[in-house]
Amino acid sequence: MARPHAFQTQSRVTTNGKFMKYKIIKAIDVAGLNFLAPVVRLCYREEPKKQLEEIGRYIVIPVVAFTAFVALWAVIAPRHKTKSGEVPTPFVVWDAADSIWKFHDREGDKEDAYGLSGKTRDEKLLIVEKRLAQLGPLEDLADSQVKEVEKARSKFVDKMVSPLLGEYDKLSTQFSEAKKAREAGLQRDAELLTSGDRDRKNAYLAEVRSHAEQTEEERQTLKEIKAEEDAIRADKYPDLVAALSAQTKIAEERQYLGKLAEHLGKSNRTAKLEGQIAQLRSDQVAFMSAAGEEAFALARRIVKQEERIRKTSESTYAKPWTLPMQIYRSLACVFVGFFIGSAIAIPIGVLCGLSSTFMAAMTPFIALFKPVSPIVWLPIALIIVGGFIPDPDKHWLIDLLANLPLIGWMKINPAFIASAVTVALCSLWATMVNTALGVASIDKDHINVARVLRLGFWDRLVKIVIPSALPLIFAGLRISLGVGWMVLVAAELLSSSEGIGKFVWDQFNNGASDSFAKMMVVVFVVGFVGLLLDRIMIVFQRLVSFDEAPAAM
Amino acid sequence: MDGPMREWRLKQRLYQSEPIEPDTPSIQQRLRRMMYGGALALLSAFPLGCSDGDSEVSLDIPADLGMEAAAATSASSAGGNESTESVTASKKTLLDLEKDELKFGFIKLTDCAPIVIAREKGFFGEEGLQVEVIAQPNWKTLLDNVINGELDGAHMLSGQPIAATIGFGTKAHIITAFTMDLNGNGITVSNSIWEQMQQNDEALKSPTPKHPISAEALKPVVQSKLGAGEKLQMGMVFPVSTHNYELRYWLAASGIHPGFYTKSDIGGRTDAQVELSVTPPPMMPATLEAGNIQGYCVGEPWNQQAVAKGIGVPVTTNYDVWKNNPEKVFGVSKKWADENPNTHLAVVKALIRAGKWLDETDDSGALVNREEAARILSRPDYVGADYDVIKNSMTGFFYFQKTDKRPMPDFNVFFKYHCTYPWYSDGVWFLTQMRRWGQIAEPKPAEWYDEMAKEVYKPAIYLKAARMLVDEGLVDESDIPWETDGYKEATSDFIDGIPYDGRDPIGYLNSHKIGNKDETGSD
Amino acid sequence: MAWLELNQVNVGFGPQDSRTEVLADVNLQVEENEFIAVIGFSGSGKSTLISTLAGLTTPDSGTVSIGGTVVTEPGPDRGIMFQNYSLLPWLSVYSNIELAVRQVFPEMSKADRLEYIQRYIDMVNLTGAEWKKPHELSGGMRQRLSLARTLSMKPEVLLLDEPLSALDALTRAQLQDEIIRIWEDDRRTVVMITNDVDEAVLMADRIVALTPGPEATTGRSFPVTLDRPRDRTTLNFNPEFKRLRNDVTRYMMDINEEAKELRFSESRQLPDCEPIDLSSPTNRMVAS
Repeated sequence: MARPHAFQTQSRVTTNGKFMKYKIIKAIDVAGLNFLAPVVRLCYREEPKKQLEEIGRYIVIPVVAFTAFVALWAVIAPRHKTKSGEVPTPFVVWDAADSIWKFHDREGDKEDAYGLSGKTRDEKLLIVEKRLAQLGPLEDLADSQVKEVEKARSKFVDKMVSPLLGEYDKLSTQFSEAKKAREAGLQRDAELLTSGDRDRKNAYLAEVRSHAEQTEEERQTLKEIKAEEDAIRADKYPDLVAALSAQTKIAEERQYLGKLAEHLGKSNRTAKLEGQIAQLRSDQVAFMSAAGEEAFALARRIVKQEERIRKTSESTYAKPWTLPMQIYRSLACVFVGFFIGSAIAIPIGVLCGLSSTFMAAMTPFIALFKPVSPIVWLPIALIIVGGFIPDPDKHWLIDLLANLPLIGWMKINPAFIASAVTVALCSLWATMVNTALGVASIDKDHINVARVLRLGFWDRLVKIVIPSALPLIFAGLRISLGVGWMVLVAAELLSSSEGIGKFVWDQFNNGASDSFAKMMVVVFVVGFVGLLLDRIMIVFQRLVSFDEAPAAM
Repeated sequence: MDGPMREWRLKQRLYQSEPIEPDTPSIQQRLRRMMYGGALALLSAFPLGCSDGDSEVSLDIPADLGMEAAAATSASSAGGNESTESVTASKKTLLDLEKDELKFGFIKLTDCAPIVIAREKGFFGEEGLQVEVIAQPNWKTLLDNVINGELDGAHMLSGQPIAATIGFGTKAHIITAFTMDLNGNGITVSNSIWEQMQQNDEALKSPTPKHPISAEALKPVVQSKLGAGEKLQMGMVFPVSTHNYELRYWLAASGIHPGFYTKSDIGGRTDAQVELSVTPPPMMPATLEAGNIQGYCVGEPWNQQAVAKGIGVPVTTNYDVWKNNPEKVFGVSKKWADENPNTHLAVVKALIRAGKWLDETDDSGALVNREEAARILSRPDYVGADYDVIKNSMTGFFYFQKTDKRPMPDFNVFFKYHCTYPWYSDGVWFLTQMRRWGQIAEPKPAEWYDEMAKEVYKPAIYLKAARMLVDEGLVDESDIPWETDGYKEATSDFIDGIPYDGRDPIGYLNSHKIGNKDETGSD
Repeated sequence: MAWLELNQVNVGFGPQDSRTEVLADVNLQVEENEFIAVIGFSGSGKSTLISTLAGLTTPDSGTVSIGGTVVTEPGPDRGIMFQNYSLLPWLSVYSNIELAVRQVFPEMSKADRLEYIQRYIDMVNLTGAEWKKPHELSGGMRQRLSLARTLSMKPEVLLLDEPLSALDALTRAQLQDEIIRIWEDDRRTVVMITNDVDEAVLMADRIVALTPGPEATTGRSFPVTLDRPRDRTTLNFNPEFKRLRNDVTRYMMDINEEAKELRFSESRQLPDCEPIDLSSPTNRMVAS
């Protein structure tokens, strides 16, 4: 209890540098980054041996463990093949992350290009066209290379397969002839059979049985050869993979540059505006010299053109959602849900804590709804939200949200709200229970203080009860945010609200060769963001906790 | 082949040493990109953000214009209801759009191409439309989103607008003025079923068996399964999907009963010898591999995917079940169409052009734009499958087995054969199938089929859009069936050869062995 | 009639059939500005007594009256200083006092309040620690803060519940002196509970003994006639001080023996537990 006090006196007498060190360590402690403390201490040359040991334990060992995990993954992944695809290696995942980023970057370029004007636009167009001209021959080269490699591959495959095919054909004819011969023999034998004569009948049956077995065996042999052949055909040809990926790279860049050139050229906003303004000018001139019916028509045209110009000048590139944007939207969604949940959970939790009658009334609801999965809540949330917002284009709430800063651009729709509500419904229980506990377990001494001071209900609530319950409330909020983040991905996946969940679903639907790898990227992204959120909540929790008890890690 | 490979690697390295990006985005650009939307707005409130204000265009409009405009508005009260104007500078007719920022939904299948192409090739842009194209998780959500207004329009199964309008499933009045494509589906069975079929029919043992393959060879498999107290399970994508009807048609044509829908059995399994169930397209290969189903009917790229992964064999395409059958339509809600007639026209115009672009051929008749289309579709925000897989069917080839690659120039038809026209006869065919399998529970008179088709299919809008395109010189007069009454000629291009005439739905119903039959003249 | 009066007060806990009477027929008269020390053994119901005085515990029968008014509920006119400080841990030294001041003097202006609070902080020698949280303070500092908070309410009666029992001997002596100094500056009625005879003799005007519980009641009363200011260094040699201390101690030992005999003579085995006053802040400390 008395430690900080002692530390104060100590710092007063020691040097400034030491004081600085304690400040840093304290900040690290509040931020929950305790593993950095030994590094700081080492920098100040405090018990270097002990610090090195700690660094070894809390930094080096985790890094080594993670590296070992990645190495193990890299070794094991290629060995695990399924028909649905291969488990991506760390390198493939890294490439996938790169391609996700590239997609994002390129869409950003297109967006920028659409808005460019004047000299910058001309310069950029020049660069793009130059690069496009370079790409033309490269693409031809890549195409011809792919053809060559394909030819080489099919030659190789034929070479590998032909002995198998020969064997297959040979065996297949051999087997079918043998089968025919056997059947003919059996037929002959059958004619010799007479009614009765159990033994001969039984012998004949055994013959037929062995014939069936033989046939089945032969079929299996053929099947094995076929399977071998299939395996050869299915085998990846590394050269072909390389050639194709290079071809794809070039083709994709060409496509991107083509689109970029278009956005810098004819479909650029400024270019469009220039055309429209020129049209307006000529109409204006014509209008000045026109009269009667013609003047009316021209005037109407001018008005329409003005409207068109206004719209064009406000227009932006319709950018598709990229993963970074989706992460941002998911974060917004989880926070909206978290705030809705907290706004419900904290007041109810406080009431539960204050009144055991109310607690008794709420207990069945908490017990009943707490374990319900997001997958159940979401359709319900969708229906309820949909009921409130029959026409999203013209609803005041959607309009309001669209004009808010920070989240306005995200095209908030009922699916977003439903996802947020689902997050709220799944995550509010931890906060509610913790708040109730915090309020109910308030120190009687504190209540006595309130009684002596004759605090009114509100003062008592605001000045005594809630501050005293805050550490537990924040512990609950931290759990809630964690649950919310976990639930969100599932909710987005179901509601097809843009976000990380939608990204995963889209990747699953794509079924491309790198889809699996992209999903693995999401695993790390979701984990990292979740970790970050948790850290932030720990900091808050520490800031509100008034005693020395450290927040649980 | 070591020589060329080394050379190739060298060239590849050469390529990689080139700058991939035309130029590296400035730090500011990167920063802006990191901050998104609102954060961006905040940033631009600072002088730093304002420095790139050159993107703003100053509208240098003469001061007297406002006055003139005001005068013109006051005079316009006497104006007519002419909603279009022709701009003298180009032949392009710019419509007076009610709404210019649109959201269209699609399912990740190659036949969403017209919408994607219209966006990527700028056909929407040229109509003054700003279109966002959003992948939907399944057909049900897609339809719901069109109904609740979240989407302005969508890539739909032909059966969907009809089913929604007559109230099978979700009830809502959905219309279509544009058929997106013909054909494009395949029926795939698992390897073991294929093997059993091969045993039943020696002819199938060849690496390139003769097509069309009927379900005859499947029949003994079904029988033996039934004998063992099991039913063959097959997947299709939606109760009112083309896939459902095609799979049923294929099975029934060989005398296998796929089951009836009844009021109490909405899964459609009454009397079934083969049970069909709904599986979302992307789940098909995985579900087949897991053994939950033994076959499926789905669009591309999911049949080619089965071949590529070696988990199944496509036995037939729907081109063999019914040559040039209608597949997807572009659906919008009636309410939306009524509120945005000009926008609807502009959308249809752009889609017609996209269809035409997709079916562009050179002098030798080869499709010239399909590789580019496949490249575009393989982008992760569109279909997203590997280019190689999409390319096969899109460029007119189809792998039935790894060793059996066949040219199928009409596997996907986006414009030929007047296919983009919304034919009443197509609507009637779907209605007959719904009746045949019990999704429509009561018998209906022939007139009802015609009325319902006319409720959903809107050739008038199509023809108006097409006329504008002809006037603009973008589409040939001959590309459009101007004189039709909306019913295609009777055809018997079915796997079982039973002729279909949309003008006689009851007769058509009664010509099938399996399925509900109605009395003629029951009106 | 005395300023503060306990009249036939009975306090008990528990259900009807196994009820424990903590206080039985307690009578106490305290004059205005008198400093009374109530002395008793652990578990004799001292804390219940002070809790009853504060109004935190309502007597089963009998009355508590102050200045002629019967006490029915707690209030800031009876400043109680709890045994375990009862500081609000999330508030700083300043804010802990401010909470009380704001409530008791709502119309005080902001500047006045600032000055007023600072005066009390200075009074208890906490200057410089205004913005520290309770957990950053030592035990003595906390008790001082608790004292400052109680005094800042300007109570008519000051109720001190074993205020110094949790402190070490040196700090305790220091605080005793401080409390006396403050009391002498600004006299008011004080009732202090203690279990330390020296402390009682040193500080109080009168010592009242509480017989051991259960059914504790007030015993003999010893007036302390030593002159003030009392100097602890010379007091040890003061015969009057020695006599008083011996008298009180002996009396306390006697009544304890008596109680024990009484207890053993009874056939009924008493439960070996403390009465628990749920509303009292002291229940935890009593056990220690």
